[in-house]
Amino acid sequence: MQRRSFLVMAGATLAATPRIAYAQKPIKVGMPMPLSGPPALFGEPATKGALMFIEEINAKGGVLGRKLELLTRDSKADANEAVRVSRELILKENVDFLVGTLTSAEGPAVSVVAKENKIVFIAPIPKTDQLTAQDKLHPYVFRVAATTTMEGRSAAEIVAKWPVTRVGTIAFDYAYGQDVTRAFVEHIKKLKPSVQIVDQQWPKLGEQDYNPFINAQMAKKPEAVVSSIWGGFFVTFSKQARALGYFDAIKSNFIGLGEAGSPETTKAMGPDYPVGIWGNSYDAFYWDTASPAHRDYTARLAKFTKEEYPSSWAIQGYIGMQFLAEAIKKAGSTDSDKVAKALLGLTVETPVGPLTIREKDHQANRGQLYGKTVKDAQYPFPIMKPVTYVDPTRFMD
Amino acid sequence: MPDLSFVFAQSLSGLTAAMFLFLIAAGLSLIFGVLRVLNFAHGTFYMLGAYSAYQFVQWLGPGPGTFWVAALGAALAIAALGGVVERLLFRHLYGKEELYQLLFTYALVLILSDVAKIIWGTQQKSLSRPPGLTGSFSLFGATIPFYNLFILLLGPAIALAFWFVLQRTRMGRFIRAAALDRETLGALGVNVDALYMWVFVLASFLGGLGGALISPMRAIVPGMDTEVIVEAFVVVVIGGLGSFWGTFLGAIIYGQVLSFGILFFPRFSIFSVFALMAAVLIVRPWGLLGRPLR
Repeated sequence: MQRRSFLVMAGATLAATPRIAYAQKPIKVGMPMPLSGPPALFGEPATKGALMFIEEINAKGGVLGRKLELLTRDSKADANEAVRVSRELILKENVDFLVGTLTSAEGPAVSVVAKENKIVFIAPIPKTDQLTAQDKLHPYVFRVAATTTMEGRSAAEIVAKWPVTRVGTIAFDYAYGQDVTRAFVEHIKKLKPSVQIVDQQWPKLGEQDYNPFINAQMAKKPEAVVSSIWGGFFVTFSKQARALGYFDAIKSNFIGLGEAGSPETTKAMGPDYPVGIWGNSYDAFYWDTASPAHRDYTARLAKFTKEEYPSSWAIQGYIGMQFLAEAIKKAGSTDSDKVAKALLGLTVETPVGPLTIREKDHQANRGQLYGKTVKDAQYPFPIMKPVTYVDPTRFMD
Repeated sequence: MPDLSFVFAQSLSGLTAAMFLFLIAAGLSLIFGVLRVLNFAHGTFYMLGAYSAYQFVQWLGPGPGTFWVAALGAALAIAALGGVVERLLFRHLYGKEELYQLLFTYALVLILSDVAKIIWGTQQKSLSRPPGLTGSFSLFGATIPFYNLFILLLGPAIALAFWFVLQRTRMGRFIRAAALDRETLGALGVNVDALYMWVFVLASFLGGLGGALISPMRAIVPGMDTEVIVEAFVVVVIGGLGSFWGTFLGAIIYGQVLSFGILFFPRFSIFSVFALMAAVLIVRPWGLLGRPLR
């Protein structure tokens, strides 16, 4: 670099730095997150939410007088890769904390790394119950995502109100799919004993050809189906299902867990979306009954990402970082042992309202939005309307 | 016992998947049969075909013929790319050790997939089915989308055209001769270099076409290249590497085993395919319709 341009850059950096003197190094947060393939549909915006939080808090002087710095790595939605980049972040980059992972394969794998290295790890997205199950729980793992129990039971509460008894399920054959399906089946049998599970399909994670599974399911003639085919995979699944008349055969009595109702998913499909089905989402920019704090958050996010319709996934990265920053403040230290203690029972005012991390299982009472998808003249893609926040607090155990 | 309409629907979905696999595996098998190179990058041409089709649709804008123009344009673009790759890179591989060939084609996979990520990003792309083929019809109680029917007819048509070129034309005779003895063919005055390039162009065309035509049914994502190349390898191993009808048969078997596998072993359908491949490798290492290697 030429001396002159270096001086210009140095000057610009000085000018941009707030007046608070950063005597210390920044607090480094590592974020392993899928940034390629279909899971990137959700992973990429989640990192943007975390970045926005960091930018905002750094503008206000950081935490304990230190700036926060985010180091992202592509985990490729693969447990081995997530473990590899997490180790690299800890050993080579010396990160102080980990916030990240998306799939239920990555989450528990990185949790083990956090335990080995005694580093606080906050999971903003993986849902498998196994992450915070009593035998896997350790002092350093926390979750601000919903769990498979919470999501499966929420779906059961909704489907129990439908006039159907023959119910089918379709889910990927791995931790998340199995756990959410089990939670749904157990809860609906309790709520409505007349329900029969007539068919269960288990494509492998990342399946591209769903035709055989769709045919097999239709042959069992279910009246309603609960799916947890998530992310970009739902796009492929429903394209093929719609062509085979699947949604018509079950009269759109279909609930797509795994955020099939999120604006990302409906936007990705546009006119191909099977309007009329139910879906869920972590957030929705069009959430009309939300608090003013949420409206403010949405406006800031739209500006930050320069998107007309901001993502529903950013909020998970945002809330994950919020909890971490609050805990560091409360602990008055970046020591992982102290921060881990501070996280227990911690309540944070998030854009979706106050959330609390429970002491007994390190789990936040994060609910989700649910609703039936409809076409809306205001937007070029379907939305959930009315959209309802299902608070899981009463059925978390 | 499941009812017959279901068995029918299931076998059709297996056949549809088989036709795509045939398009991909045929190119792979052709390149191996003639050029004696196991081209790992063939799946990448398939992926680039899908992305190119998406790109052409973006450029052309919505219209009744957009998809078809885009699909053909994509296949031609990939064919041209194949020609360039063969002329500049592959020609140095002929006759080299297989390890070199594998390493080289694998490097090509990595490079081209990163190029695709730079151009199209990592977010998945999606194409709608072409207007006119969006509906479906009912046959023997099974719902068949028009687009799937089109694929079911196109597969055998391409197989026959391909077979005709190989068996009944001058170029086809040269290709078959080149597969058997390159030197003698060259000594007889045939321009073998040019012939190799055309074989590569043809194989790339099929790969690109497969990618373009599959995009309305699946998502266009990074990683679709390595996924399909594994499936295509299974197909040619079952059918016989270098054998044309073997590839067709291998694809059909693969599709049917996968389709009906989920009836008998709902959670292990993928296992049944690999078990079949293992069995073929043990009993007939050269594949069902292949010939033992000289």
